Amino acid sequence: MSSPAIRTLLDAIRESNGELLSEIEGVLPVIRPHGEAATLDWINACRTLSDFERDAGRAFVRGSREAEKVSESVLPWTRQALSIMRWRHSSPAVEGFMRNLPRAFGSLGHAGEERWANIGLTWCARSIECGCAYFATPVLDVAGRGGGIAAIEALNTPAEELYESRKLQLATFLPGAIRVRNLLGVQAVLPWAMRGADIMQSGRTRGEAYFRLESEESLALLLENMQGYKLADRNRLLGILLEVWLGEGLELKESTWSPEKGRPFMEIDGESLYFPAVMGNREEAIISVLHAAGHMRHGTFDRTAMKQMFTDAKAEFPEDGPVSWSPIFARYGEDAMRFQLIFDMCEDLRIESRLQKQIPNYFQRLISNAEAARTRHPDSAEYYDLGIATARDALRASRGEPVLDARFAPLFEAGATLADAHRIACEIYAVAEQDASLPPVRDPEAFTAAFLPGRGPNSTRVAHPQDNPDENSQTQPGQQEENQPDEQGEDESESPQESETGDEQDGGEKQETAGYGDTSGAAKRAESRPDGTQQGRGPADKGIPYPEWDYRESRYKKNWSWVQEKRLGESNLSETQRLMKQYSNALKRLKKAIQSQKPTRMAPRVKQLDGDDMDLNAVIEFVAEKISGRSPVPTIYRRREQNQREISVILLADMSTSIMQHLPEGGGRLVDRIRAGVLLFAESMEEVGDNYAIAGFCSKYRDNVSYYNIKDFGESYNEDVRSQIGGLSGRLATRMGAAIRHATKHFERVESRRRLLLLLSDGRPEDYDDGGDRRYLHEDTRMAVKEAVAKGVHPFCITVDTMANQYLPQIFGAGHYLVLDQINSLPNKLPEIYLKLRK
Amino acid sequence: MKTATARQRGVEHDIVQIPLASDTAPYYEPQGNEVAVFEAAYKRRLPVMLKGPTGCGKTRFLEHMAFQLKRPLVTVSCHEDLTSSDLVGRFLLEGAETVWQDGPLTRAVKAGAICYLDEIVEARTDSTVVIHSLTDHRRKLTIEKKGQEIDAHEDFMLVISYNPGYQTVLKDLKPSTKQRFVGLNFDFPTEEIERKILMAEVPGLTHENAQQLVATGRKARLLKDHGLEEATSTRALVYAASMMCAGLDPVAACQVALVNPITDDPELAEALMEIVNAHFAV
Repeated sequence: MSSPAIRTLLDAIRESNGELLSEIEGVLPVIRPHGEAATLDWINACRTLSDFERDAGRAFVRGSREAEKVSESVLPWTRQALSIMRWRHSSPAVEGFMRNLPRAFGSLGHAGEERWANIGLTWCARSIECGCAYFATPVLDVAGRGGGIAAIEALNTPAEELYESRKLQLATFLPGAIRVRNLLGVQAVLPWAMRGADIMQSGRTRGEAYFRLESEESLALLLENMQGYKLADRNRLLGILLEVWLGEGLELKESTWSPEKGRPFMEIDGESLYFPAVMGNREEAIISVLHAAGHMRHGTFDRTAMKQMFTDAKAEFPEDGPVSWSPIFARYGEDAMRFQLIFDMCEDLRIESRLQKQIPNYFQRLISNAEAARTRHPDSAEYYDLGIATARDALRASRGEPVLDARFAPLFEAGATLADAHRIACEIYAVAEQDASLPPVRDPEAFTAAFLPGRGPNSTRVAHPQDNPDENSQTQPGQQEENQPDEQGEDESESPQESETGDEQDGGEKQETAGYGDTSGAAKRAESRPDGTQQGRGPADKGIPYPEWDYRESRYKKNWSWVQEKRLGESNLSETQRLMKQYSNALKRLKKAIQSQKPTRMAPRVKQLDGDDMDLNAVIEFVAEKISGRSPVPTIYRRREQNQREISVILLADMSTSIMQHLPEGGGRLVDRIRAGVLLFAESMEEVGDNYAIAGFCSKYRDNVSYYNIKDFGESYNEDVRSQIGGLSGRLATRMGAAIRHATKHFERVESRRRLLLLLSDGRPEDYDDGGDRRYLHEDTRMAVKEAVAKGVHPFCITVDTMANQYLPQIFGAGHYLVLDQINSLPNKLPEIYLKLRK
Repeated sequence: MKTATARQRGVEHDIVQIPLASDTAPYYEPQGNEVAVFEAAYKRRLPVMLKGPTGCGKTRFLEHMAFQLKRPLVTVSCHEDLTSSDLVGRFLLEGAETVWQDGPLTRAVKAGAICYLDEIVEARTDSTVVIHSLTDHRRKLTIEKKGQEIDAHEDFMLVISYNPGYQTVLKDLKPSTKQRFVGLNFDFPTEEIERKILMAEVPGLTHENAQQLVATGRKARLLKDHGLEEATSTRALVYAASMMCAGLDPVAACQVALVNPITDDPELAEALMEIVNAHFAV
């Protein structure tokens, strides 16, 4: 049938390359119908490509069948393939081109395909690596979901721009850019890549990691630009809402979710709630957080119920330690996703029925939000709709109305447990398996799409069973562990902060002053400083003894805790300067606020013998009394002037190890905020003019409580003090009682009507030798506070420990403490709180 | 609500007003034994101290008691610049003559009224010591400037109030002042009572709305530790109820009465609005 021309050509190929011929002959029948000219061209192309590079030729021949089928043509793509050949080392490009051809024709049409190929050819002209990368990338990925050729062009524009301006290789750019485009839209690609190109210039590995979306800065940039509700920024709000609706003691942490991991969900493990950085919208985020907390509060992790469930599932339940959920699902093998969806729905209904009682209109909100989302994943729409229907049923049940679907009814009862949810899920699954009313789900995307907004897979993390299922308990067992004392700081030598804590223990002894029973002030200390080199622990440097309260025996232990007054060894002026710069605006604002307060703050002294203003009341009184025949003293002036020092204040900072921790929300360590806070405090105190002192404390065992005098009363606020504040760091534990007693003693030397002891803390009182009996130091601190009050000192505690509501009221009394739930606000808040207190 | 001192509106009248039988009694819903305690204290003429957060009903309680006991009520709101002259009295000029004018405390002492020093901690301590001699067995008021003293009228009674919050850490009453009083602790009423109060204060409020408002208030008070200086008061709930009955949408009514006034912190406001929305926006 073949024309002579074709036959000659094939013969020629047979001689040079027999292998190729057999491949060509395999495809030939689908090419022939396009006419002799086209067939000839095609065979020639095969030959040319093969001669050019063997792999290219083979790829061309093999791809031709599919290409012809979709495009119903031969010549256009044959020509395109030949034009790629113009460049050396282009065979990967040809291979990629051929692989993509069917999809390109199928999704872009003929015109689109031509444009797509032309863009690729332009890239080949720029650099063959880029061309190869272009053609190697699946065309559907480049086009995105339903994007077409326009999407490809949109993505190509920034790529060309960056190649021209920064020589950014397409291979580096394209895979990341596609993901960024899919997540954030095409407008986000250019800024993202620009930043990446900058990073690339500073380091290739770092840059590549950025473009692979693996580096922190890349993810951070993504999150910043994500649409939706950013939970990380709203941590405080969510925490407040949890406390309002479900009580204190639930811990919110950020999970490791990142945008390309698919739909974000809350996660729970029986100890904490983990939130993703971003969620679809505010409603979804809030419902999710409340929902997850509901699991924590209402027995999803109850040990008894979990055990029952494992027994029902004929799986072994570990006696202690964390529990993996997988045995529950393992039985269902391939179909685990279907069972998991059913099980999660049952358990969610159970939890939410209880939440409805605590949170008014919870179901209404869940349902209306779920209905607002119009799109369903085709493979799991049944689950989504059933979710809504059953939620409606639960709502009916909560109102005492009859339910429509009796299968789920037992879950709405108050006494239902996790095991009941599991049992009902098994029953429903058994039926679904028969009648396929709930279809099997295999695709992870369909799986995640099956959950109503606000719900999510409950078993993503290993579970920590809760032993105390008391719903009203304010403290979850998990937390107890979390709050373990800072004594872990004992092996602080391993911590990276070691370099900063140079003044700990022995290192600090150099600075140690000879103990002095009388607090005779700075002068004496200054004397004793030069000979601070004395070594050893003679009675002289044991410090000042204080009694300690033992609640178990209801008595004071005499001379129990020993406080050594020291100077802070380290100083860091550059840190101080940095902080001053960072907070210069805040400082300006503060000073302005203080100045504007001044006239009222410094109450005018009325009834003075002389002054710059008349005291009208006094004048009237004077005249009146004079006329009535008395001889009043002419105290008729008022003067705005600072009264004799009315308040003196000690800012006493907790310098335990825990302040060295990094802030969960990022942006440095707690100690940075404390330094800044103390610094702003000192600056504003200078402005206010009150008498103040700054000190820090830490402890290790009862006989080693260090009291660092950073600035004493009457001492000037100089560079030395400033740089010491910059050098503040954490070490050891928190024996608060002894420190309070010592600070109280400091006040004895000061003449002032009001004395305020401001304690800045980040956790409960603890020491290495409290034997795990928290109550001991709590009680002692409480007594120390009482003693201080009796001596006319008002202790006030400012803490950043969000759990502090559990112990501070007992220690300091209601109204004598403040919990700052935003650590970042500490620097600004500290002076503000003081100003408020002193009013 | 009509009270004894509001009979003629827009006309000045004396601060000492004996309640008339024709007046409407100020509404008060007892929360515990405070009425009995107050009556006992009044029998013995012991001074009383009312402690509790803003807007929980201290002043209303006193209005109510004064009415029940048929005694005039003289209220002095204390502030930082309040001097003892402001309480006791001062000489005034009238033409070339001077006249002595009694202060509210003196008026009350003479007339046998109940004298109410509201937020006493705000006053300077030196001005509050004038009440010392009135609050023990002497029951005398010394008028230093005139060189006189007055034995209090046998029906005279002194009541002070204060609000122990963290703002006043440094302004506590002197222990010597405190221990002269019988102390009554007030707190926000229980759910049941608070609902009754709302229904009584705001005629026309539906039972359901009252219930929702009370529940909202309960939850909102939990935010106290997060930086709210004052918790949502019963008074604020009454305002919200009034706004609702004046035709405002419940959520808007709560926002203007319960959220906007008590915080400037956007996050706290958002949390409060969440609570409001959960209860009212369906």
